[in-house]
Amino acid sequence: MIHFYHVTKKFDRYSTALHDVTFHLEKGEFAFLTGASGAGKSTLLKLILREMLPTEGQVVVNGRNLNAMKKRHLPFFRREIGMVFQDFKLIERMTVFENLSFILTVLNVSPKEHKKKAYAALRAVNLQHKLNAYPLQLSGGEQQRVAIARALINDPLILIGDEPTGNLDPDLSAEMIQIFSDAHLRGSTVLLATHDRELIRSSDRRVITLDKGRISRMEGGETHIENEPRPSGTPFLSASGSK
Amino acid sequence: MAREFNRLNEPDVPSSTATYFFREALRRIWTSKRSSFVAISMIAISLLIVGIFMLIAENLEHTVEQWQGRSRVNVYFASDATGAQIAALRAHLASRSQLAKHRFVTREEALKRFREYFASVSNLVSQLDENPFPPSFEIEVTPEFIQSPAFNQEMAAVRASPGVEYVQFDWDWLARMRRLVDVINLAGLIAGGILAIAAAFTIANVIRLTMMLYREEIEIMRLVGATERLIRGPFLVEGILQGTLGGALAVGLLYAAFLAVRNTLDPSQSLLFGFLVGTFLPWQKIAMLVAGGTLAGWFGSWLSVRER
Repeated sequence: MIHFYHVTKKFDRYSTALHDVTFHLEKGEFAFLTGASGAGKSTLLKLILREMLPTEGQVVVNGRNLNAMKKRHLPFFRREIGMVFQDFKLIERMTVFENLSFILTVLNVSPKEHKKKAYAALRAVNLQHKLNAYPLQLSGGEQQRVAIARALINDPLILIGDEPTGNLDPDLSAEMIQIFSDAHLRGSTVLLATHDRELIRSSDRRVITLDKGRISRMEGGETHIENEPRPSGTPFLSASGSK
Repeated sequence: MAREFNRLNEPDVPSSTATYFFREALRRIWTSKRSSFVAISMIAISLLIVGIFMLIAENLEHTVEQWQGRSRVNVYFASDATGAQIAALRAHLASRSQLAKHRFVTREEALKRFREYFASVSNLVSQLDENPFPPSFEIEVTPEFIQSPAFNQEMAAVRASPGVEYVQFDWDWLARMRRLVDVINLAGLIAGGILAIAAAFTIANVIRLTMMLYREEIEIMRLVGATERLIRGPFLVEGILQGTLGGALAVGLLYAAFLAVRNTLDPSQSLLFGFLVGTFLPWQKIAMLVAGGTLAGWFGSWLSVRER
Protein backbone atom coordinates (compact mmCIF):
# COMPACT_ATOMS: atom_id res chain seq x y z
CA MET A 1 0.00 0.00 0.00
CA ILE A 2 2.84 2.40 0.91
CA HIS A 3 6.22 1.75 -0.68
CA PHE A 4 9.39 3.81 -0.30
CA TYR A 5 12.25 2.93 -2.65
CA HIS A 6 15.60 4.46 -1.70
CA VAL A 7 14.00 7.76 -0.86
CA THR A 8 16.21 10.70 -0.03
CA LYS A 9 14.84 14.13 0.77
CA LYS A 10 17.19 17.09 0.92
CA PHE A 11 16.01 20.61 1.65
CA ASP A 12 19.37 22.07 0.72
CA ARG A 13 22.97 20.93 0.31
CA TYR A 14 23.54 20.73 4.04
CA SER A 15 20.17 19.50 5.26
CA THR A 16 19.06 15.95 4.50
CA ALA A 17 15.75 15.02 6.16
CA LEU A 18 15.63 11.44 4.84
CA HIS A 19 18.49 9.37 3.53
CA ASP A 20 17.98 6.32 1.31
CA VAL A 21 14.82 5.14 3.08
CA THR A 22 13.23 1.96 1.81
CA PHE A 23 10.25 0.27 3.43
CA HIS A 24 6.93 -1.31 2.47
CA LEU A 25 3.63 -1.16 4.30
CA GLU A 26 1.16 -3.63 2.91
CA LYS A 27 -2.57 -3.13 2.58
CA GLY A 28 -4.35 -3.45 5.92
CA GLU A 29 -1.23 -3.07 8.06
CA PHE A 30 -0.97 -0.93 11.19
CA ALA A 31 2.42 0.51 12.01
CA PHE A 32 4.02 3.12 14.21
CA LEU A 33 6.69 5.45 12.92
CA THR A 34 8.93 6.66 15.68
CA GLY A 35 12.14 8.50 16.28
CA ALA A 36 13.48 11.55 18.05
CA SER A 37 12.41 15.04 17.06
CA GLY A 38 14.01 15.91 13.75
CA ALA A 39 14.45 12.26 12.78
CA GLY A 40 12.40 12.80 9.63
CA LYS A 41 8.97 11.43 10.65
CA SER A 42 6.96 14.43 9.48
CA THR A 43 8.94 14.63 6.23
CA LEU A 44 8.16 10.98 5.54
CA LEU A 45 4.45 11.57 6.14
CA LYS A 46 4.49 14.66 3.91
CA LEU A 47 6.02 12.56 1.15
CA ILE A 48 3.15 10.05 1.49
CA LEU A 49 0.61 12.87 1.19
CA ARG A 50 2.70 14.32 -1.66
CA GLU A 51 3.06 17.64 0.08
CA MET A 52 6.57 17.40 -1.30
CA LEU A 53 8.49 15.21 -3.72
CA PRO A 54 11.59 13.18 -2.89
CA THR A 55 14.96 14.45 -4.04
CA GLU A 56 15.84 10.87 -5.02
CA GLY A 57 13.99 7.59 -5.07
CA GLN A 58 10.35 6.70 -5.56
CA VAL A 59 7.27 6.85 -3.36
CA VAL A 60 4.44 4.56 -4.43
CA VAL A 61 1.10 4.71 -2.64
CA ASN A 62 -1.60 2.25 -3.60
CA GLY A 63 0.16 1.41 -6.84
CA ARG A 64 0.53 5.05 -7.81
CA ASN A 65 3.95 6.54 -8.32
CA LEU A 66 3.66 9.94 -6.64
CA ASN A 67 6.64 11.33 -8.55
CA ALA A 68 4.71 10.82 -11.77
CA MET A 69 1.29 11.85 -10.50
CA LYS A 70 -0.31 14.71 -12.40
CA LYS A 71 -1.22 17.76 -10.35
CA ARG A 72 -4.87 17.52 -11.34
CA HIS A 73 -5.07 14.01 -9.88
CA LEU A 74 -3.63 15.06 -6.55
CA PRO A 75 -6.91 16.16 -4.87
CA PHE A 76 -8.57 12.81 -5.63
CA PHE A 77 -5.54 10.93 -4.34
CA ARG A 78 -5.57 12.94 -1.10
CA ARG A 79 -9.27 12.29 -0.56
CA GLU A 80 -8.43 8.63 0.02
CA ILE A 81 -6.05 9.50 2.84
CA GLY A 82 -7.24 10.50 6.30
CA MET A 83 -4.53 12.63 7.85
CA VAL A 84 -4.27 13.84 11.42
CA PHE A 85 -1.82 16.71 11.30
CA GLN A 86 0.50 17.56 14.16
CA ASP A 87 -0.89 21.11 14.26
CA PHE A 88 -4.44 19.79 13.62
CA LYS A 89 -5.00 22.14 10.63
CA LEU A 90 -8.58 22.95 11.57
CA ILE A 91 -10.16 25.96 9.87
CA GLU A 92 -10.49 28.42 12.72
CA ARG A 93 -13.37 30.50 11.38
CA MET A 94 -15.50 27.40 10.89
CA THR A 95 -17.32 25.57 13.64
CA VAL A 96 -16.48 21.96 14.39
CA PHE A 97 -19.47 20.89 12.32
CA GLU A 98 -18.44 23.13 9.41
CA ASN A 99 -14.90 21.75 9.52
CA LEU A 100 -16.29 18.26 9.06
CA SER A 101 -18.96 19.38 6.62
CA PHE A 102 -16.31 20.98 4.41
CA ILE A 103 -14.56 17.61 4.02
CA LEU A 104 -17.90 16.05 3.10
CA THR A 105 -18.45 18.80 0.51
CA VAL A 106 -15.02 18.01 -0.94
CA LEU A 107 -15.97 14.33 -1.00
CA ASN A 108 -19.22 15.09 -2.83
CA VAL A 109 -21.40 13.79 -0.01
CA SER A 110 -24.97 15.08 -0.19
CA PRO A 111 -25.52 18.04 2.20
CA LYS A 112 -28.43 16.12 3.75
CA GLU A 113 -25.93 13.55 5.02
CA HIS A 114 -23.50 16.06 6.51
CA LYS A 115 -25.11 16.46 9.93
CA LYS A 116 -25.57 12.73 10.42
CA LYS A 117 -22.04 11.85 9.36
CA ALA A 118 -20.45 14.70 11.32
CA TYR A 119 -22.37 13.75 14.45
CA ALA A 120 -21.33 10.10 14.10
CA ALA A 121 -17.67 11.05 13.61
CA LEU A 122 -17.73 13.34 16.63
CA ARG A 123 -19.47 10.76 18.76
CA ALA A 124 -16.62 8.36 18.00
CA VAL A 125 -14.22 10.83 19.65
CA ASN A 126 -16.68 11.85 22.41
CA LEU A 127 -17.11 15.39 21.14
CA GLN A 128 -20.66 15.32 19.83
CA HIS A 129 -21.60 18.11 22.26
CA LYS A 130 -19.02 20.45 20.64
CA LEU A 131 -20.66 20.44 17.21
CA ASN A 132 -21.17 24.20 17.16
CA ALA A 133 -17.98 25.25 18.93
CA TYR A 134 -15.13 26.97 17.11
CA PRO A 135 -11.68 25.32 17.21
CA LEU A 136 -10.22 28.10 19.32
CA GLN A 137 -12.91 27.51 21.95
CA LEU A 138 -11.59 23.96 22.39
CA SER A 139 -8.63 22.66 24.36
CA GLY A 140 -5.62 21.25 22.48
CA GLY A 141 -6.79 17.72 23.19
CA GLU A 142 -10.29 18.47 21.92
CA GLN A 143 -8.92 20.05 18.76
CA GLN A 144 -6.84 16.93 18.22
CA ARG A 145 -9.93 14.76 18.58
CA VAL A 146 -11.79 16.90 16.03
CA ALA A 147 -8.84 16.42 13.68
CA ILE A 148 -9.10 12.67 14.23
CA ALA A 149 -12.86 12.77 13.58
CA ARG A 150 -12.20 14.68 10.35
CA ALA A 151 -9.62 12.14 9.22
CA LEU A 152 -11.96 9.25 9.94
CA ILE A 153 -15.19 10.72 8.61
CA ASN A 154 -14.93 9.02 5.25
CA ASP A 155 -13.43 5.64 6.23
CA PRO A 156 -10.18 6.43 4.40
CA LEU A 157 -8.18 3.77 2.65
CA ILE A 158 -5.04 5.03 4.37
CA LEU A 159 -5.02 6.68 7.80
CA ILE A 160 -1.98 8.68 8.78
CA GLY A 161 -1.38 10.44 12.06
CA ASP A 162 1.42 12.84 12.89
CA GLU A 163 1.64 12.69 16.69
CA PRO A 164 -2.12 12.14 16.92
CA THR A 165 -2.03 11.64 20.69
CA GLY A 166 0.54 14.34 21.40
CA ASN A 167 -1.85 16.55 23.37
CA LEU A 168 -3.87 13.84 25.06
CA ASP A 169 -3.59 12.33 28.53
CA PRO A 170 -2.77 8.58 28.72
CA ASP A 171 -6.42 7.49 29.08
CA LEU A 172 -7.56 9.55 26.10
CA SER A 173 -4.51 8.43 24.13
CA ALA A 174 -5.49 4.81 24.64
CA GLU A 175 -9.04 5.66 23.60
CA MET A 176 -7.83 7.35 20.42
CA ILE A 177 -5.51 4.43 19.58
CA GLN A 178 -8.58 2.23 19.92
CA ILE A 179 -10.36 4.45 17.39
CA PHE A 180 -7.43 4.01 14.98
CA SER A 181 -7.53 0.25 15.64
CA ASP A 182 -11.25 0.21 14.81
CA ALA A 183 -10.51 2.00 11.52
CA HIS A 184 -7.79 -0.57 10.89
CA LEU A 185 -10.31 -3.36 11.46
CA ARG A 186 -12.63 -1.69 8.96
CA GLY A 187 -9.87 -2.01 6.37
CA SER A 188 -7.76 1.12 6.61
CA THR A 189 -3.99 0.90 6.41
CA VAL A 190 -2.71 2.88 9.40
CA LEU A 191 0.60 4.64 9.94
CA LEU A 192 1.01 6.67 13.12
CA ALA A 193 4.06 8.81 13.81
CA THR A 194 4.73 9.19 17.51
CA HIS A 195 7.57 9.45 19.97
CA ASP A 196 5.39 8.15 22.80
CA ARG A 197 7.45 5.05 23.69
CA GLU A 198 4.86 3.95 26.25
CA LEU A 199 2.12 3.94 23.63
CA ILE A 200 4.25 1.86 21.27
CA ARG A 201 5.26 -0.55 24.04
CA SER A 202 1.65 -1.13 25.03
CA SER A 203 0.72 -2.30 21.53
CA ASP A 204 2.06 -5.17 19.50
CA ARG A 205 2.09 -3.21 16.24
CA ARG A 206 4.97 -2.89 13.86
CA VAL A 207 7.39 -0.10 14.57
CA ILE A 208 9.57 1.73 12.08
CA THR A 209 12.24 3.76 13.83
CA LEU A 210 13.93 6.67 12.16
CA ASP A 211 17.23 8.11 13.31
CA LYS A 212 18.68 11.18 11.65
CA GLY A 213 16.78 10.47 8.45
CA ARG A 214 17.63 6.77 8.19
CA ILE A 215 15.60 3.74 9.21
CA SER A 216 17.52 2.43 12.18
CA ARG A 217 15.20 -0.34 13.30
CA MET A 218 12.09 -2.25 12.27
CA GLU A 219 10.28 -4.23 14.92
CA GLY A 220 7.37 -6.65 14.80
CA GLY A 221 5.16 -7.87 11.98
CA GLU A 222 6.29 -8.63 8.49
CA THR A 223 7.40 -5.19 7.50
CA HIS A 224 11.02 -5.38 6.55
CA ILE A 225 13.95 -3.14 5.93
CA GLU A 226 15.71 -3.40 2.65
CA ASN A 227 19.34 -2.48 2.78
CA GLU A 228 20.35 -4.09 -0.48
CA PRO A 229 21.88 -1.86 -3.15
CA ARG A 230 19.50 0.01 -5.43
CA PRO A 231 18.47 -2.26 -8.30
CA SER A 232 19.35 -1.09 -11.77
CA GLY A 233 15.83 -1.59 -13.11
CA THR A 234 13.86 -0.13 -10.24
CA PRO A 235 10.07 -0.56 -10.60
CA PHE A 236 7.71 2.41 -10.81
CA LEU A 237 10.46 4.51 -12.32
CA SER A 238 8.16 6.28 -14.68
CA ALA A 239 9.46 9.63 -13.48
CA SER A 240 12.61 11.10 -12.09
CA GLY A 241 13.00 10.91 -8.35
CA SER A 242 14.25 14.38 -7.88
CA LYS A 243 12.45 17.63 -7.93
CA MET B 1 -14.64 -1.37 5.28
CA ALA B 2 -12.51 1.33 3.81
CA ARG B 3 -13.50 2.31 0.30
CA GLU B 4 -11.56 0.98 -2.63
CA PHE B 5 -9.23 3.31 -4.43
CA ASN B 6 -8.92 4.40 -8.08
CA ARG B 7 -11.56 7.07 -8.22
CA LEU B 8 -9.29 9.61 -9.84
CA ASN B 9 -11.71 10.41 -12.61
CA GLU B 10 -14.73 11.31 -10.51
CA PRO B 11 -16.20 14.81 -11.05
CA ASP B 12 -13.91 17.30 -9.36
CA VAL B 13 -16.63 19.70 -8.27
CA PRO B 14 -19.19 18.24 -5.88
CA SER B 15 -22.84 18.78 -6.64
CA SER B 16 -23.39 20.86 -3.50
CA THR B 17 -20.72 23.37 -4.52
CA ALA B 18 -23.00 26.07 -5.89
CA THR B 19 -24.49 26.57 -2.43
CA TYR B 20 -21.05 26.31 -0.86
CA PHE B 21 -19.60 28.90 -3.27
CA PHE B 22 -22.35 31.42 -2.56
CA ARG B 23 -22.39 30.86 1.19
CA GLU B 24 -18.61 31.21 1.41
CA ALA B 25 -18.52 34.22 -0.93
CA LEU B 26 -21.18 36.05 1.09
CA ARG B 27 -19.40 35.19 4.31
CA ARG B 28 -16.10 36.51 2.96
CA ILE B 29 -17.72 39.73 1.73
CA TRP B 30 -19.21 40.18 5.19
CA THR B 31 -15.92 39.35 6.93
CA SER B 32 -14.01 41.89 4.81
CA LYS B 33 -16.77 44.49 4.89
CA ARG B 34 -14.56 47.53 4.45
CA SER B 35 -12.52 46.35 1.49
CA SER B 36 -15.66 44.88 -0.10
CA PHE B 37 -17.38 48.23 0.34
CA VAL B 38 -14.50 49.99 -1.43
CA ALA B 39 -14.64 47.51 -4.32
CA ILE B 40 -18.43 47.74 -4.65
CA SER B 41 -18.28 51.55 -4.49
CA MET B 42 -15.60 51.71 -7.17
CA ILE B 43 -17.73 49.61 -9.50
CA ALA B 44 -20.84 51.63 -8.63
CA ILE B 45 -19.12 54.99 -9.32
CA SER B 46 -17.71 53.76 -12.63
CA LEU B 47 -21.05 52.43 -13.79
CA LEU B 48 -22.89 55.49 -12.48
CA ILE B 49 -20.78 57.65 -14.80
CA VAL B 50 -21.50 55.32 -17.70
CA GLY B 51 -25.17 55.40 -16.68
CA ILE B 52 -25.29 59.22 -16.67
CA PHE B 53 -23.93 59.30 -20.21
CA MET B 54 -26.35 56.57 -21.22
CA LEU B 55 -29.28 58.43 -19.67
CA ILE B 56 -28.43 61.71 -21.45
CA ALA B 57 -27.96 59.86 -24.73
CA GLU B 58 -31.18 57.93 -24.19
CA ASN B 59 -33.20 61.09 -23.64
CA LEU B 60 -31.59 62.93 -26.54
CA GLU B 61 -32.33 59.95 -28.73
CA HIS B 62 -35.88 59.91 -27.46
CA THR B 63 -36.25 63.58 -28.33
CA VAL B 64 -34.79 63.03 -31.78
CA GLU B 65 -37.24 60.22 -32.35
CA GLN B 66 -40.12 62.41 -31.23
CA TRP B 67 -39.00 65.07 -33.69
CA GLN B 68 -38.68 62.49 -36.38
CA GLY B 69 -42.17 61.29 -35.56
CA ARG B 70 -43.62 64.57 -36.57
CA SER B 71 -41.21 65.34 -39.37
CA ARG B 72 -42.44 67.71 -41.95
CA VAL B 73 -41.12 68.75 -45.33
CA ASN B 74 -41.96 72.25 -46.54
CA VAL B 75 -41.95 72.83 -50.29
CA TYR B 76 -41.90 76.56 -51.14
CA PHE B 77 -42.86 77.82 -54.57
CA ALA B 78 -41.29 80.76 -56.32
CA SER B 79 -43.38 83.93 -56.15
CA ASP B 80 -44.07 83.63 -59.87
CA ALA B 81 -45.15 79.99 -59.76
CA THR B 82 -48.25 79.34 -61.78
CA GLY B 83 -51.43 77.59 -60.73
CA ALA B 84 -50.65 74.85 -63.25
CA GLN B 85 -47.27 74.21 -61.69
CA ILE B 86 -48.85 73.99 -58.24
CA ALA B 87 -51.54 71.64 -59.56
CA ALA B 88 -48.88 69.46 -61.22
CA LEU B 89 -46.96 69.08 -57.95
CA ARG B 90 -50.18 68.39 -56.05
CA ALA B 91 -50.93 65.59 -58.54
CA HIS B 92 -47.39 64.26 -58.18
CA LEU B 93 -47.63 64.23 -54.36
CA ALA B 94 -51.02 62.53 -54.48
CA SER B 95 -49.56 59.77 -56.64
CA ARG B 96 -46.87 59.00 -54.06
CA SER B 97 -48.17 57.05 -51.05
CA GLN B 98 -45.34 58.29 -48.77
CA LEU B 99 -46.07 61.91 -49.68
CA ALA B 100 -49.85 61.67 -49.82
CA LYS B 101 -50.30 63.31 -46.42
CA HIS B 102 -49.80 66.89 -47.50
CA ARG B 103 -51.47 70.22 -47.17
CA PHE B 104 -51.35 73.30 -49.39
CA VAL B 105 -50.64 76.61 -47.63
CA THR B 106 -51.70 79.67 -49.58
CA ARG B 107 -49.80 82.95 -49.49
CA GLU B 108 -52.63 84.47 -47.43
CA GLU B 109 -52.59 81.66 -44.90
CA ALA B 110 -48.81 81.95 -44.53
CA LEU B 111 -49.16 85.65 -43.87
CA LYS B 112 -51.90 85.02 -41.34
CA ARG B 113 -49.74 82.49 -39.51
CA PHE B 114 -46.85 84.91 -39.38
CA ARG B 115 -49.05 87.55 -37.90
CA GLU B 116 -50.30 85.12 -35.28
CA TYR B 117 -46.90 83.73 -34.31
CA PHE B 118 -44.99 86.98 -34.40
CA ALA B 119 -47.64 89.51 -33.42
CA SER B 120 -45.12 92.06 -32.14
CA VAL B 121 -43.46 92.44 -35.55
CA SER B 122 -46.55 91.88 -37.69
CA ASN B 123 -46.76 95.55 -38.58
CA LEU B 124 -43.45 95.21 -40.45
CA VAL B 125 -45.20 93.08 -43.03
CA SER B 126 -48.08 95.56 -43.25
CA GLN B 127 -45.65 98.17 -44.49
CA LEU B 128 -44.71 96.01 -47.50
CA ASP B 129 -46.43 96.53 -50.82
CA GLU B 130 -47.26 92.92 -51.30
CA ASN B 131 -47.47 89.65 -49.39
CA PRO B 132 -43.85 88.35 -49.22
CA PHE B 133 -44.80 84.76 -48.34
CA PRO B 134 -44.79 82.18 -51.11
CA PRO B 135 -47.36 79.43 -51.38
CA SER B 136 -46.15 76.07 -50.09
CA PHE B 137 -46.93 72.43 -49.48
CA GLU B 138 -46.50 70.92 -45.98
CA ILE B 139 -45.81 67.21 -46.32
CA GLU B 140 -45.94 64.88 -43.30
CA VAL B 141 -43.42 62.07 -43.63
CA THR B 142 -42.75 59.06 -41.43
CA PRO B 143 -39.35 58.49 -39.70
CA GLU B 144 -38.96 55.19 -41.58
CA PHE B 145 -39.39 56.96 -44.91
CA ILE B 146 -36.89 59.68 -43.96
CA GLN B 147 -34.29 57.03 -43.25
CA SER B 148 -34.93 55.13 -46.47
CA PRO B 149 -32.93 55.82 -49.68
CA ALA B 150 -36.23 56.55 -51.48
CA PHE B 151 -36.62 59.73 -49.44
CA ASN B 152 -33.66 61.49 -51.06
CA GLN B 153 -34.86 60.46 -54.53
CA GLU B 154 -38.36 61.78 -53.85
CA MET B 155 -37.01 65.03 -52.49
CA ALA B 156 -34.78 65.45 -55.53
CA ALA B 157 -37.83 64.94 -57.77
CA VAL B 158 -39.86 67.50 -55.78
CA ARG B 159 -36.98 69.96 -55.84
CA ALA B 160 -36.76 69.60 -59.63
CA SER B 161 -40.46 70.26 -60.14
CA PRO B 162 -41.25 73.45 -62.12
CA GLY B 163 -42.03 76.44 -59.91
CA VAL B 164 -40.43 74.96 -56.78
CA GLU B 165 -37.86 77.28 -55.24
CA TYR B 166 -36.87 75.64 -51.98
CA VAL B 167 -37.42 72.35 -50.15
CA GLN B 168 -36.86 72.46 -46.41
CA PHE B 169 -36.81 69.65 -43.90
CA ASP B 170 -35.17 69.23 -40.50
CA TRP B 171 -33.23 66.08 -41.35
CA ASP B 172 -29.83 67.78 -41.13
CA TRP B 173 -30.54 68.95 -37.64
CA LEU B 174 -31.77 65.52 -36.64
CA ALA B 175 -28.70 63.91 -38.17
CA ARG B 176 -26.51 66.25 -36.15
CA MET B 177 -28.45 65.33 -33.01
CA ARG B 178 -27.95 61.65 -33.82
CA ARG B 179 -24.23 62.19 -34.18
CA LEU B 180 -24.24 63.95 -30.82
CA VAL B 181 -26.02 60.97 -29.27
CA ASP B 182 -23.36 58.67 -30.73
CA VAL B 183 -20.57 60.87 -29.36
CA ILE B 184 -22.16 60.90 -25.90
CA ASN B 185 -22.58 57.14 -25.97
CA LEU B 186 -18.98 56.67 -27.07
CA ALA B 187 -17.67 59.11 -24.45
CA GLY B 188 -19.65 57.24 -21.78
CA LEU B 189 -18.28 53.93 -22.94
CA ILE B 190 -14.68 55.17 -23.00
CA ALA B 191 -14.86 56.91 -19.62
CA GLY B 192 -16.84 54.09 -18.08
CA GLY B 193 -14.61 51.45 -19.65
CA ILE B 194 -11.48 53.03 -18.20
CA LEU B 195 -13.13 53.38 -14.79
CA ALA B 196 -14.53 49.85 -14.95
CA ILE B 197 -11.05 48.45 -15.67
CA ALA B 198 -9.73 50.42 -12.69
CA ALA B 199 -12.61 49.04 -10.62
CA ALA B 200 -11.84 45.50 -11.81
CA PHE B 201 -8.26 45.95 -10.59
CA THR B 202 -9.60 47.19 -7.25
CA ILE B 203 -11.67 44.03 -7.01
CA ALA B 204 -8.60 42.01 -7.99
CA ASN B 205 -6.66 43.58 -5.12
CA VAL B 206 -9.49 43.00 -2.66
CA ILE B 207 -9.69 39.35 -3.69
CA ARG B 208 -5.90 39.10 -3.49
CA LEU B 209 -6.04 40.45 0.06
CA THR B 210 -8.82 38.01 0.95
CA MET B 211 -6.75 35.17 -0.48
CA MET B 212 -3.80 36.28 1.66
CA LEU B 213 -6.08 36.24 4.69
CA TYR B 214 -7.24 32.75 3.80
CA ARG B 215 -3.88 31.33 2.73
CA GLU B 216 -3.66 28.87 5.63
CA GLU B 217 -7.19 27.75 4.99
CA ILE B 218 -6.42 27.29 1.29
CA GLU B 219 -3.44 25.14 2.23
CA ILE B 220 -5.64 22.99 4.49
CA MET B 221 -8.21 22.66 1.71
CA ARG B 222 -5.53 21.43 -0.68
CA LEU B 223 -4.26 18.90 1.85
CA VAL B 224 -7.68 17.38 2.40
CA GLY B 225 -8.27 16.94 -1.31
CA ALA B 226 -10.13 20.05 -2.44
CA THR B 227 -9.68 20.79 -6.14
CA GLU B 228 -8.44 24.15 -7.34
CA ARG B 229 -11.92 24.82 -8.69
CA LEU B 230 -13.46 24.23 -5.27
CA ILE B 231 -10.86 26.51 -3.66
CA ARG B 232 -11.09 29.27 -6.25
CA GLY B 233 -14.84 29.12 -6.75
CA PRO B 234 -15.83 31.19 -3.71
CA PHE B 235 -13.29 33.88 -4.64
CA LEU B 236 -14.65 34.09 -8.18
CA VAL B 237 -18.21 34.24 -6.88
CA GLU B 238 -17.10 36.91 -4.39
CA GLY B 239 -15.83 39.10 -7.24
CA ILE B 240 -18.92 38.45 -9.33
CA LEU B 241 -21.18 39.34 -6.39
CA GLN B 242 -19.22 42.52 -5.65
CA GLY B 243 -19.44 43.55 -9.31
CA THR B 244 -23.14 42.76 -9.54
CA LEU B 245 -23.87 44.62 -6.30
CA GLY B 246 -21.85 47.58 -7.65
CA GLY B 247 -23.87 47.51 -10.88
CA ALA B 248 -27.17 47.35 -9.00
CA LEU B 249 -26.07 50.18 -6.70
CA ALA B 250 -25.14 52.28 -9.76
CA VAL B 251 -28.61 51.75 -11.24
CA GLY B 252 -30.23 52.64 -7.91
CA LEU B 253 -28.16 55.82 -7.56
CA LEU B 254 -28.83 56.78 -11.17
CA TYR B 255 -32.57 56.36 -10.71
CA ALA B 256 -32.52 58.38 -7.48
CA ALA B 257 -30.58 61.15 -9.23
CA PHE B 258 -32.97 61.01 -12.20
CA LEU B 259 -36.03 61.43 -9.93
CA ALA B 260 -34.35 64.17 -7.92
CA VAL B 261 -33.43 66.21 -11.00
CA ARG B 262 -36.84 65.73 -12.59
CA ASN B 263 -38.70 66.74 -9.45
CA THR B 264 -36.56 69.76 -8.68
CA LEU B 265 -36.44 71.31 -12.15
CA ASP B 266 -38.76 74.33 -12.27
CA PRO B 267 -40.89 74.87 -15.37
CA SER B 268 -38.66 77.56 -16.88
CA GLN B 269 -35.63 75.22 -16.65
CA SER B 270 -37.72 72.33 -17.88
CA LEU B 271 -38.05 74.07 -21.23
CA LEU B 272 -34.28 73.94 -21.62
CA PHE B 273 -33.28 70.78 -19.80
CA GLY B 274 -36.54 68.98 -19.23
CA PHE B 275 -36.01 66.80 -22.28
CA LEU B 276 -32.90 65.34 -20.62
CA VAL B 277 -34.89 63.76 -17.79
CA GLY B 278 -37.94 62.78 -19.76
CA THR B 279 -37.48 59.03 -19.54
CA PHE B 280 -35.31 56.55 -17.56
CA LEU B 281 -33.20 53.85 -19.13
CA PRO B 282 -35.06 50.89 -20.66
CA TRP B 283 -34.64 47.54 -18.90
CA GLN B 284 -32.18 46.30 -21.53
CA LYS B 285 -29.77 49.13 -20.72
CA ILE B 286 -30.30 48.64 -16.97
CA ALA B 287 -29.43 44.97 -17.47
CA MET B 288 -26.35 46.04 -19.48
CA LEU B 289 -25.14 48.22 -16.60
CA VAL B 290 -25.59 45.46 -14.02
CA ALA B 291 -24.01 42.92 -16.37
CA GLY B 292 -21.08 45.34 -16.82
CA GLY B 293 -20.58 45.22 -13.06
CA THR B 294 -20.78 41.45 -13.03
CA LEU B 295 -18.24 41.24 -15.84
CA ALA B 296 -15.83 43.66 -14.13
CA GLY B 297 -16.18 41.68 -10.89
CA TRP B 298 -15.55 38.40 -12.61
CA PHE B 299 -12.54 39.82 -14.46
CA GLY B 300 -11.04 41.23 -11.26
CA SER B 301 -11.42 38.02 -9.29
CA TRP B 302 -10.21 35.94 -12.23
CA LEU B 303 -7.05 38.06 -12.36
CA SER B 304 -6.38 37.22 -8.71
CA VAL B 305 -7.19 33.53 -8.61
CA ARG B 306 -5.28 32.88 -11.82
CA GLU B 307 -2.07 33.95 -10.07
CA ARG B 308 -2.39 31.30 -7.36
